[in-house]
Amino acid sequence: MTVAASLKSKSIWPGITLRWSSATLIFALFVIISFIVIAVTIPLWSPYDPVGMAGRRLQPPSALHWCGTDALGRDVLTRALWGTRYSLPIAVFVLGVAVPVGVLLGTAAGFFGGIIDNAVMRLADVTLAFPPVLLAMAIAASLGPGLVNTAVALIIVWWPIYARLMRAQVLNVKKLDHVDAAVIAGAGRFRILFKHIMPLCWSPILVNTTMDVGLVILLASGLSFIGLGAQPPAPEWGQMVAEGASNFYSWWIALAPGMAIFLISISSNFLGDALRDVLDPQVKLPA
Amino acid sequence: MLEVVLRRLFVMPFLLLGIVTATFILAQFTKGNPLVSIIGAKALTNPEVVAAAKKRWGLDRSIPERYVIYVKNLARGDLGVSFRTKQPVLADLAQRLPATLELVICAMIVGAASGLLLGVISAQFHDRAADHAARFIALLGSCLPIYWLGLLVLFLFTVQLPWLPGPGRLDLRAEQIEPVTGFMLVDTLLVDSWNAFVDAALHLVLPALVLGWSVTGIVSRMVRASLLDVMKQDFITMARAKGASATRVLVHHALRNALIPALTILGFTFAYLITGSVLVEAIFSWPGIGSYAVEAARALDYPAITGVTIIGGLGFLIANLLTDIAYAAADPRMRGAAA
Amino acid sequence: MVDVLPSVFLRLKPKFTRVLLAAALVGTLGISAEAKAADDTIVVARAMDINSLDPARAYCDTCQIYLSAVYQPLLTLAADNKTIIPSLAEKWEVSPDVTTFTFNLNPAAKFSDGSPVTGDDVKWTLERLKNVKGSASYLMDSVKSIEVKDPHTVVITTKTPNSELLGILSAPYTGIINSKLASANGANAAEDAATSDTSDTWFLSNSAGSGPFTLESYKADDNLRFKRNDNYWGTKPAAAVVIMKQTADAVTQAQMLGSGTADIAMQIDPDTAKSIQDPNIVFQTIPSFNFVYVAFSPVAEGSPVPLTRDVREAIALAIDYKGAIDFTVGGEGKLQPAAIPNGFPGTSNLPDPETNIEKAKELLAKAGLADGFTLDLTFAAMNVYGIDLSLLAQKLEQDLAKINVKLALKPATFNVWVTDIDKPVPFTIGFFAPDYFGSAQYVQYFGMIPNMPWGTRAGVGKAEGLDGKEELELFNKALAAAIEQQEEAYRALAMKMIDDKIILPLVSPNLVLAHRKDIGGVRYSACCNLPLAEIVKN
Repeated sequence: MTVAASLKSKSIWPGITLRWSSATLIFALFVIISFIVIAVTIPLWSPYDPVGMAGRRLQPPSALHWCGTDALGRDVLTRALWGTRYSLPIAVFVLGVAVPVGVLLGTAAGFFGGIIDNAVMRLADVTLAFPPVLLAMAIAASLGPGLVNTAVALIIVWWPIYARLMRAQVLNVKKLDHVDAAVIAGAGRFRILFKHIMPLCWSPILVNTTMDVGLVILLASGLSFIGLGAQPPAPEWGQMVAEGASNFYSWWIALAPGMAIFLISISSNFLGDALRDVLDPQVKLPA
Repeated sequence: MLEVVLRRLFVMPFLLLGIVTATFILAQFTKGNPLVSIIGAKALTNPEVVAAAKKRWGLDRSIPERYVIYVKNLARGDLGVSFRTKQPVLADLAQRLPATLELVICAMIVGAASGLLLGVISAQFHDRAADHAARFIALLGSCLPIYWLGLLVLFLFTVQLPWLPGPGRLDLRAEQIEPVTGFMLVDTLLVDSWNAFVDAALHLVLPALVLGWSVTGIVSRMVRASLLDVMKQDFITMARAKGASATRVLVHHALRNALIPALTILGFTFAYLITGSVLVEAIFSWPGIGSYAVEAARALDYPAITGVTIIGGLGFLIANLLTDIAYAAADPRMRGAAA
Repeated sequence: MVDVLPSVFLRLKPKFTRVLLAAALVGTLGISAEAKAADDTIVVARAMDINSLDPARAYCDTCQIYLSAVYQPLLTLAADNKTIIPSLAEKWEVSPDVTTFTFNLNPAAKFSDGSPVTGDDVKWTLERLKNVKGSASYLMDSVKSIEVKDPHTVVITTKTPNSELLGILSAPYTGIINSKLASANGANAAEDAATSDTSDTWFLSNSAGSGPFTLESYKADDNLRFKRNDNYWGTKPAAAVVIMKQTADAVTQAQMLGSGTADIAMQIDPDTAKSIQDPNIVFQTIPSFNFVYVAFSPVAEGSPVPLTRDVREAIALAIDYKGAIDFTVGGEGKLQPAAIPNGFPGTSNLPDPETNIEKAKELLAKAGLADGFTLDLTFAAMNVYGIDLSLLAQKLEQDLAKINVKLALKPATFNVWVTDIDKPVPFTIGFFAPDYFGSAQYVQYFGMIPNMPWGTRAGVGKAEGLDGKEELELFNKALAAAIEQQEEAYRALAMKMIDDKIILPLVSPNLVLAHRKDIGGVRYSACCNLPLAEIVKN
């Protein structure tokens, strides 16, 4: 019923009428678009060299260095800007692999049931039984720390979430009348799957993926923070906060990267909320 | 519901075996050398010392052989001896688990209470300023990087404004409290030391708030959604029509019904809190499982890594089980259906 | 020593491991009985790196502090950090050929359980050290036999002349164990002790020494508690209890010191020290015997160009040594000419490392490499002796860019790095702290001598110009030299090692010893790190 309702609401397109929602949506789009633009164009206008010395070390913020300099005399703002080139791709990469894999396996599990369902779901259970950080740590410990290994670890812990979500969706949609009708009409299995079931499953996946962008960035930077993710001199945000923490009294070092992580993750949440409002009327209720 | 529980319990040993196997497979890819934590880096160039240590710690056996031995020992409840601390892993974990649980439970209380409050405010003032403010506050907690927030509050409330004690669980010096339960809040009361209890509680404030706030968003979102859902149902309209006050409607009718689905996400927040606790423990020098895991991962201390993963996995499985039970209890349609 | 988990701050990322603290110590908030106890208690905040508390198996910086507080070797090092003075042995004699060493034990010496220290305990302890095959067992490599002449006389004979043995017997790892007590708890000194001795767990909660303290309790990753040895045969220490508290990073150590939670901290880096303006904290900055170096392996695979002596010298000349000290430890460090720490035998008047970009470029041009090349720098991403190796690597990257050598930084975890350097890798950053006072350990580790760790990594006998013969000869001469001729003998070795251009010492960081104003007797020892027994609280 969720899905049927969402279909209906889609056609109506309720619009984003509330001021708060529009404000957050505009904010989120602004942040995300600017971060993408920064990530793509930063080599063209980078204020300083992200890994080279830009001035005296440990300078507080000034007109020359808006966010100060770190222990190596590098410009913190420059590094934070370059940081978009680590955090955004890792989110895209992790979700770009984990979501399709999860969706595929979840669909198969929900649609075919039986052994496939059991196999996929038990595999998901085993994987989900690992607290993500512990698994990522075990992988980093074995394969060595690094962004790629962090991404691999995150993919491994992320796909089951989508497999479960998709399976539940498929199971729900399978029960709907129009699917029964299609079956009675003699449609082929795959035709039913692709034409009648899958199109109705997308909205929660989309909303979740949007929200998870922030989560992936938070977790990946957290791993970098404890030294198991990106390695120096990479200007990765979590790693920069770690550097800031070792110079505790030079508070400015961690400020820019910390804010950057916060901005991108809150924006992904705002965007996810907005998407949900549009796609899923269950949460958006008439006042 | 019983079926769900039984099914979960039935697969649990297999899941554990899966975890152990996965950890062993990972160990095969290892580039580093666990001997470093046993004999030290310099001694690695001394073949005699290396051979002796390998023999003593069973590292001269092949990985399949070690796997069989490990599983056999595991069946007897023996998790092996840590390469790093040279103590039985089970003893290490028993010493650290209460610290993590104490932190996670306090954080869960913080998260659940604040999430409930903000969720109720949100629902009550739906789509008004208070709703937006509450949602924003809840969201902040989950969007601020927990390790950065931890550093900030540590700097603010222990250095700039010395209101709260710094990292650790208790202040140093004076006589030791022998751990009975390992929960400082309980142990200090068991020996009747009110001062120590206050001290332990003060040490918990910052880490529990930081960790708890990170799940406020999840809880409040759920509470808000289910409250809104309940509020438009007939029996609420009925209660209103009967002239019950807004507060009464909220507390006696709506909240009671809305809480059950909200409860089901506690399992999910547990997963979240365990993840967060690794970072929070690192920042607040909290001697729990999370920091033990980080050290074990660094030292390639396999017995400890596997032990932590098993305990973590077990915790997850139990949390999932409780979630399923709660879910089944909350939703009659789920009764009998497999999860 | 290169310890088990690298000394000082065992973490990948500065600050962040901060792992583990606290627990189980209590109270403070003023109950009078507790306050009284606190007066005699000294708290040392420290990132502990303990791998064992068994003298035959322990091998770490913290182990040195622990062992020298709880056990006593035959000899010890005076506060001047170079004179060897009596400990359990009241006097000793060395034969002219430097192979026979006779020790007379102090008859007053007794263990903490009241039993006397005898020659049998000495023989048992030293044989066990050898047979357990722990990391410090190499200290006994040269020993041929240990003979107990009478309960208070022990004669040690070495296979070849070894002028270093006296230094070795002052190392905390050679602390004498109460053999009866330890034997009753699973320890033995037999040939197969490596597997048959099962006492290391017992040693984690018990001690069996004659030192000023005994072990009260140890909680891994949390705290180590010492209790005053009431049976101590020397001058009893002022502190009744010493607590060493796991405190992973400098900032927390500083905060604990500031709040009075801790009395002493030894791992506060100079940057942090400078930012603290607290009249209650005293900072002593003293030169240490630790150092950080870069090293080449000319025979390593994956080297883009042959790392000939000219190329190595060019790189050595391009490094801004003073700048590296400013960068990594805020100027709080010393240049170190050779891979033997300043102040050890053989280091007087050695030429300081030189920075000369022009000359470096000339050398590279001569080698046909004026356009430069890319070289991998493998290192452990962690903090040692207050130096962030990642920071140091980035400084080297900036320096070498000036001669068109592009450094590709390859950070690794400590464990991975340790295995990598034995592959070996072309260029790496390493670090070293002494196990005892004496220069032989450096020649044995860094010398271009066959079968020695760096000799093997650099490819002695295979790499051009490194035949290993000359250094081996010099080394044997130094070992046979009388004590007063050691300086000269080791200086010749040091000059040769500088000339090899394999090991380039970069920084010998100063040690920041921080303590509360009311604490006295805090000093740094080359053998024992921090002698706890001398600490007084006023």
